[in-house]
Amino acid sequence: MTPALRLPFVPEPVFRQMAAMLVTLALWQLAAMGLAGRYMLAGPVEVVQHILQNYGLLSRALWVTFQNAAWGFVAGNLAAIGLALIVALVPQTRMLVAALALVVFCLPLVATGPILRVLYGPGPGPQITLAALAVYYTTFIPLLVGLRAAPASWFDLIRLYGRGAWTVFVQVRVMASLPYLLAGLQIAAPAAFLGAMVGEFTGADRGIGVLALRAMRGLDVEATWAIALIAAAVSMLAYGAIGRITRTKADTQPEMLMAVKPEPSAQLVSARVFRIVMLVALTAALVIALWWALMEIFALNRFFAKRPDDVWRYLVTAPTAQANRAVLWAATSASLEYLIPGYLAGLALGVAGALALTLAPALGSGVLPVAIALRSVPIVTTAPLIVLALGRGAAGTITIVAVMTFFPALVACLQGLRQTPGQVLDVMRLYATNPVTRLWYAQIPAMLPAFFAAARLSVPAAILAITVAEWLATGRGLGALMALTASTSDYNLLWSAIVVVTLGACIGYGLVSMVERAVLVRVAPEQLRN
Amino acid sequence: MASPAMTRTGPEIRCTDLAKNFGKGATLLEAVAPLSLSFAAGQMTALVGPSGCGKSTVLRMIAGLEQPSAGQILLGGQTPQDMQRQGALAMAFQDASLLPWRSVRGNVALARKLARLPGDTAAVEDIIARVGLSGFEDARPAELSGGMRQRVAIARCLITQPRVLLLDEPFGAVDELTRARLNLELPPLWQASGTTALMVTHSVREAVALADRVLVFSSRPARVVGDIAIPAEARSDTALQGALVEQVNAALAQGWSDHAAHAQPWAAQ
Ligand SMILES: Nc1ncnc2c1ncn2[C@@H]1O[C@H](COP(=O)(O)OP(=O)(O)OP(=O)(O)O)[C@@H](O)[C@H]1O
Ligand SMILES: [Mg+2]
Repeated sequence: MTPALRLPFVPEPVFRQMAAMLVTLALWQLAAMGLAGRYMLAGPVEVVQHILQNYGLLSRALWVTFQNAAWGFVAGNLAAIGLALIVALVPQTRMLVAALALVVFCLPLVATGPILRVLYGPGPGPQITLAALAVYYTTFIPLLVGLRAAPASWFDLIRLYGRGAWTVFVQVRVMASLPYLLAGLQIAAPAAFLGAMVGEFTGADRGIGVLALRAMRGLDVEATWAIALIAAAVSMLAYGAIGRITRTKADTQPEMLMAVKPEPSAQLVSARVFRIVMLVALTAALVIALWWALMEIFALNRFFAKRPDDVWRYLVTAPTAQANRAVLWAATSASLEYLIPGYLAGLALGVAGALALTLAPALGSGVLPVAIALRSVPIVTTAPLIVLALGRGAAGTITIVAVMTFFPALVACLQGLRQTPGQVLDVMRLYATNPVTRLWYAQIPAMLPAFFAAARLSVPAAILAITVAEWLATGRGLGALMALTASTSDYNLLWSAIVVVTLGACIGYGLVSMVERAVLVRVAPEQLRN
Repeated sequence: MASPAMTRTGPEIRCTDLAKNFGKGATLLEAVAPLSLSFAAGQMTALVGPSGCGKSTVLRMIAGLEQPSAGQILLGGQTPQDMQRQGALAMAFQDASLLPWRSVRGNVALARKLARLPGDTAAVEDIIARVGLSGFEDARPAELSGGMRQRVAIARCLITQPRVLLLDEPFGAVDELTRARLNLELPPLWQASGTTALMVTHSVREAVALADRVLVFSSRPARVVGDIAIPAEARSDTALQGALVEQVNAALAQGWSDHAAHAQPWAAQ
């Protein structure tokens, strides 16, 4: 940027951002005009026109969705805090509570939506529940880290005066976990909006999600773009607003976001394997018991509220079991075919982007805030848009999954890279180490835990993305199967699909954790200790 | 400070065959080998010795923060846990370990709360002034220098008028001049009430200037290689002080050479 270009009295960053925005808008308009008719792209002028023409309708719908998201936000975060409290006060329950929380988080919203719709009847119940389900895990995990994120000497201080766990909790843990809680709440805000919108996709009568679905089905390009942009803007605003509160309320930033420190591995490998097997068995038993108990306690109709034995019969003992399994397997492999490339591409691009920005900082001054803002856009709500632009085939679906995993990976890696201890970098600077060596020996090891945390959380997110895309647009895979069975009341197949998806998500999450361990042991063993 | 001095006098501390191991199996580390020590009531003892010899570990066991692997600790006949429950212990940690979300005032006042003592705003202000931090009452630890943080930690110790005071390198990050001033001003705060105090320090001069007795340890596994009483006259007699410093240094050197006879000291770390 040459000084001659700078306007007088306009601070440079503001000027640069405004210029970038104007250029983007102009390019967008030109692209829309140039591609008119071939790609389904609406320019900014058309979008603004649409918003102005439908102002009343859009604002009423937005208000409905906002309320649902807000209630879901409150309920989900209260649940997260409650779970974290249990773990803080009874530390022995940590692994089990975390495993149960993961299983519930892995439930496919695409299928739970229609079932909740049948349970609640008309009204905002399903939207609020889905919003709560979408947020509680991303608050629970950082909170779990935060409740343990304090140096041992703070606990010593309390013990020195003969005080117990409760004083430790009140004086140390609550305050130490506050920055982590606020960071979790910030991520939860756009997630709540996403959950509410997915809930509205499943047959609500009001809300921005209903309008989005209608616009996409009617191939209304302007409306689709307008709604996607409104959803994006609201999410970014919510993210920004919570971020502002975070900065005023907590002057300490959380150390490494979302990276649960692995347990120390003093035990033998066989002992660890045994422990994991026990945990999985216990979790499975508890999930089945809870599932059964909930159905029986609320006396839910067996026609749509299937029990574990129904699924077992359907998939294993029924005469048609083999055919049933074949249907499920065909859908699963169709989904995996796009899910895996999209997931891996998103992660790889995220890492590559973060590394490139670190090696060429000039390129990326200000990229982190933009990336954080874009991460907050609930990608799934823009799925109709991507499908409009890229079509209903492989390209569109893979792109949706990749975009869903790209931004969290990019942000986590950029934040992880910044976690490199200052003294280590100073030492490297002292020897005039070249940037690549610095990256390899100091920055990448510091980045890995944050990267893997993002990779783990991206497994359920990618599954959500692909099932929504399949359901709304492509008509293939598990997403379409679940939508179809929900509308034809084939509840046996629907519940079986839920079991398969949840199990698959948990297995994927576990696989990523195993890769994480294997890589960290080799590359950054210090990140595994303590 | 209005001090109910007579009721809070310090106890005698007796450690019998005290030992501490960390880890087990191949990673077993003998931090403290059986060691018997006793400290007279109301006295201040300085502990000096090579880095890693187990001084902090001994202090932490006396504070009841670390469970001894063997042996017994009695403070006036009571266990460390009894003392904890009475709010009779205070310890300044090697790192200041202040709570970052509390101000200087808040950190100091917290100790009274933890020790179940009634709040006493005047006493808090007074002790903050005595460690030279007037004007910083509302500052957060992040806004203080390392030495200032250590002074807050000392104020936090003293505010509860403990019967046993444990100081682990309390002046480690304080400059020489401030350190000399604190050495003059702080001891009266606990000497008057007859507190039993233990202080770990790497400054032999400071040990001689502050303590009634200097205990010198060898490298790990620590043995007592010097037990030097500091007479009251030494406070004003710089020549005597110099001689005592020499004596402590000689004992430290003795501990090193003994050790070197059967092990490489650095390899033992
Ligand atoms: N929590 C612990 N776990 C394992 N080993 C420990 C632990 N605490 C101390 N040690 C070991 O015990 C030995 C004594 O440590 P200690 O902290 O008591 O030394 P120190 O005399 O205070 O040293 P310094 O003067 O450097 O502070 C050291 O070898 C140390 O590695
Ligand atoms: Mg020490």
